[in-house]
Amino acid sequence: MEMKKLFALILALAMVLSLAACGSSSSDTSDTTEDTSTADTDEEEASSEDADAEAETEEEAEVEEEADTEAAESSDLDYSDLNVGIFWYAFSDTFLSTVRSALDETLDAAGITYTDYDGNSNQTTQNESITTALASGCNLLLVNLVESGSEDAAQKIIEEAAGYGVDVYFFNRTIEADGNEGALLNAYDNVAFLGTDAPEAGHMQGQMIGEYLVENFDAIDLNGDGVISYAMFKGQEGNAEAIYRTQYAVEDANAILTEAGYAELVYFDANNSDQYQVDANGAWSASAATEYMQTNLSQYSEANGNMIELVICNNDDMAAGAIQALQAAGYNNGEGTTTIPVFGVDATDTAKELIANGYMVGTVAQSNTGYAYGLKFLIDQAVSGASPVDVAAALAADVSDYTFTLAEGIDSKVYMAYSAYTGE
Amino acid sequence: MRNPIRSLQETSAHYKTLDAKDRRAFVADMLLNNAIYIILVVFIIFTYTQNNNIISSSSIINIINLTAASLPMALGIGGCIVLTGTDLSAGRTVGLTAAISATLLQSLTATNKFFENLGEVPIPLVLLAALLVGGIVGLVNGFFVARFQLHPFIVTLATQLIVYGICLMYYMSNGNNGQSISGLSDAYQSFITGSIIGDLTGLVIPNYVIYAVIVLVIMWFIWNKTTFGKNMFAVGSNPEAANVSGVNVFFTTMMVHALAGVTYGYTGFIEAARIGSNTANTGLNYECDAIAACVIGGVSFVGGTGTIGGVVLGVFLLRIIFVGLNFLSISSNMQYIIKGIIILFACSIDMRKYLTRK
Repeated sequence: MEMKKLFALILALAMVLSLAACGSSSSDTSDTTEDTSTADTDEEEASSEDADAEAETEEEAEVEEEADTEAAESSDLDYSDLNVGIFWYAFSDTFLSTVRSALDETLDAAGITYTDYDGNSNQTTQNESITTALASGCNLLLVNLVESGSEDAAQKIIEEAAGYGVDVYFFNRTIEADGNEGALLNAYDNVAFLGTDAPEAGHMQGQMIGEYLVENFDAIDLNGDGVISYAMFKGQEGNAEAIYRTQYAVEDANAILTEAGYAELVYFDANNSDQYQVDANGAWSASAATEYMQTNLSQYSEANGNMIELVICNNDDMAAGAIQALQAAGYNNGEGTTTIPVFGVDATDTAKELIANGYMVGTVAQSNTGYAYGLKFLIDQAVSGASPVDVAAALAADVSDYTFTLAEGIDSKVYMAYSAYTGE
Repeated sequence: MRNPIRSLQETSAHYKTLDAKDRRAFVADMLLNNAIYIILVVFIIFTYTQNNNIISSSSIINIINLTAASLPMALGIGGCIVLTGTDLSAGRTVGLTAAISATLLQSLTATNKFFENLGEVPIPLVLLAALLVGGIVGLVNGFFVARFQLHPFIVTLATQLIVYGICLMYYMSNGNNGQSISGLSDAYQSFITGSIIGDLTGLVIPNYVIYAVIVLVIMWFIWNKTTFGKNMFAVGSNPEAANVSGVNVFFTTMMVHALAGVTYGYTGFIEAARIGSNTANTGLNYECDAIAACVIGGVSFVGGTGTIGGVVLGVFLLRIIFVGLNFLSISSNMQYIIKGIIILFACSIDMRKYLTRK
C-alpha cells in the first residue's frame, strides 16, 4: 500500500511538472515582448515566478500601463477599458495558428487585454465561450466563425453581442452563404468582416494551374493522349472555402486551357461523380490525402497508361500529404524522377520548402501578418469610437504593405488580397 | 493453435450425428458465426466484378501497407478492451509522439526547423523517446483505472484532452507558431518508407510493414505465451476471481494500458514519416478505427475474450472497405454508413454467442 501511494504521488508530480514545463514554454512569446519594454518589468517578472495569481494580474496591469505609454508614441489610444475576446475556429489549424501568434504578438506589444478561445471545430463550443466572455465583461469580439458560411450561427452571435452593446468583427471565415452576401452585414450595424474573398483563392489557384499547364502541356501529359487527368482533394464537406476552391480551381484552369486550344481537365476516375475525394474527418489533413493518393496510385500508374497527371488540393497540408504518397511511389523525388505538378493553398512553411525543392509547383498565399495588421487596425479604430462601417472604410483606405478593399455593395466587408506563390 | 484440418474433420463428424432439423440450425449457426469472413469474401468478389484492379499486385500491396499502418494501435487498444475497458487517448497520443519524432528527426537543412541547433539524433533514440512518452500516457491511464476503479472511458477521455493540450502547446512553442512539421531527414524517411524488400525482390513493400509484422509477433507472444497475457484475460473475464487466484490485478491493469501506450508511441513514430507533414491534428480519431477494428475482430467488450488474429482481421476488413469503396468510386459519406452497419452487425453476432451460452 505504501508503495502504491508513493507511486501515485510520483505520477501526479510528473504530470504537474510536465504541464508546468509546457505552460512556461507557451508564455515565452509574451515574455519576449515584455522584455523589450523596460528592464524594470524584467525584475518584476523574476520575482513573480513564485508569486500567486493575484500578484500576477497586478503585474500584468503594470506591464499594460507601461506598454500603453509606449504605444501612445504612435497613437493616442487608451486601451485600459478594452477587453478583447478572440474566438478561433480551431487552435489546431496550421494557417490560423500563424495568424494567432502574429496577432498575439501585436496585441501584447500594444498592451491590449485579450483572450484567445478555442472553438475546437465546434460551433456550440464557440457560442458558449462567446456567451461566457460577454457575461464576464468582454467588450469587443473578434470571431473566426466555426461554421463557415452559416448565417444562423453568425446571426446568433451578432444579436447576442448587440444585447450587450458590443461590436463584432468576424474574420477569415465567411459568415454569409453564397449568393446571399450582405444579408447580415447590411442588416446589423454592430458588425463588420475582414477576410479574403472566398472564391478568390480558387480563382487564383485555377489561373495558376491553367497557365502552368499551357506552358508545360506536353511534359505534363504523360500518356500523350492530349488530356490531363487530375486528382482533387477537398478539405471538408459543406465549407464555403472548400467548395469554391474545389469548383473554381478546375473551372478557371479549364477556361485558360480552352482558350489556348487544349482539351479540358478530366477527373482521373470517370466513375466518381463527386469529382473529388474529401477528408472524412473534415480536418483538411495530410493523412487523408496520403491515404487517398496511395490508394489511387495502386491502380493508376504510368505503366497502366492512366497516371494522374495533376494534383489539386484545397490546402497545403493536403498537398504535402499527396506529395508524400507520390514520393513513396517513386514520383516527385527531384532529378531523374517524373514530377507530377501539385498545387495547394495557404503558403505554409512546409509548402514553401516543397516548392523550393521542386516537389510542388504552387500555392496561394494569405498573409498571417496581414491579418494581424488588419485586426489591430480594426481594434484601434473601434477604440476611438468609430462604428464598424467607418472602421471598414478606414481600413480599405489605409495604405500599408497589405491591400485591403471593400466588397461591392457591402460597406462593412473588407477583403484582403491573396497572392500566388510559386517560389521566391 | 489447433490443426484446421483436424477440426474440420471433427466438425463434419459432429454434423453427421445430427438429425435434419438440428442440421439446419447447425448450418445457420456456422454461417452467422463466420459472417464477417463471408462478408469480407463477398465484398472482395463484388468489388472485383466492378473493378478488376482490386486484385492487382499494387492494390494488394497498398491494402497491406494501410493495414500495417493501423495494426499496432489496434493491437494495443485490443488489450484495453479485453479488460472491458477502452482507450480514447490513443489518437492524440499518436499526435504527440508523431510531433516529438518529427521535430527530433528533421533534416539539418529543413527551412522550418523546430530545434534550430539540434544536430543529427540517432533514430533508435527517437523511437525510444516516442515509445517512452506513449508508455507514460498509458501508465497514467492504467494507474487511474487500477487505483481508483475509474471507468477507462472517463480516464482516457481526460488524458485525451490533456495530451491534446500539450500537443497544441508543443506546436506553438519554439517559434513554430502551429506550422506543420515536415522536412524530415532522409535517413528517417528511408528507415520508415524505404523498402528493403523492394531492393531485394522488386516488390516495393515499405519497411514499416516489416516492423508491423515484428510488432504483431511480439504482441502475439505476449498475449498467448506469457503469464502476463494469461493474467490479462483472467482479469478481463473476472477481476475478483483473478485476484483471489493470486493475480496482481493492479499491476496487470497498469501494464496493459502501458503496453497500449507504447503501441501508440510506436504508431506516432511511424505516422510522422509515413504522412511526412505533421500538425496538431495528426492522429485525430485514430482510436475510433482501432476500437472498431477490435470489436469487428471479436475482441468483446464483455471482457476476457479476443485474439490477435481477430484484431488483424478487423483492421484488414476496415481497410478493405476504405480501398474497395474508393475503387468502386463510392462517396466517403457511404463509408460511415457501411462501417456503422458492420460494427453493429459484428457486435450483435458476437453477443449472440454469449446470450445462447447462458
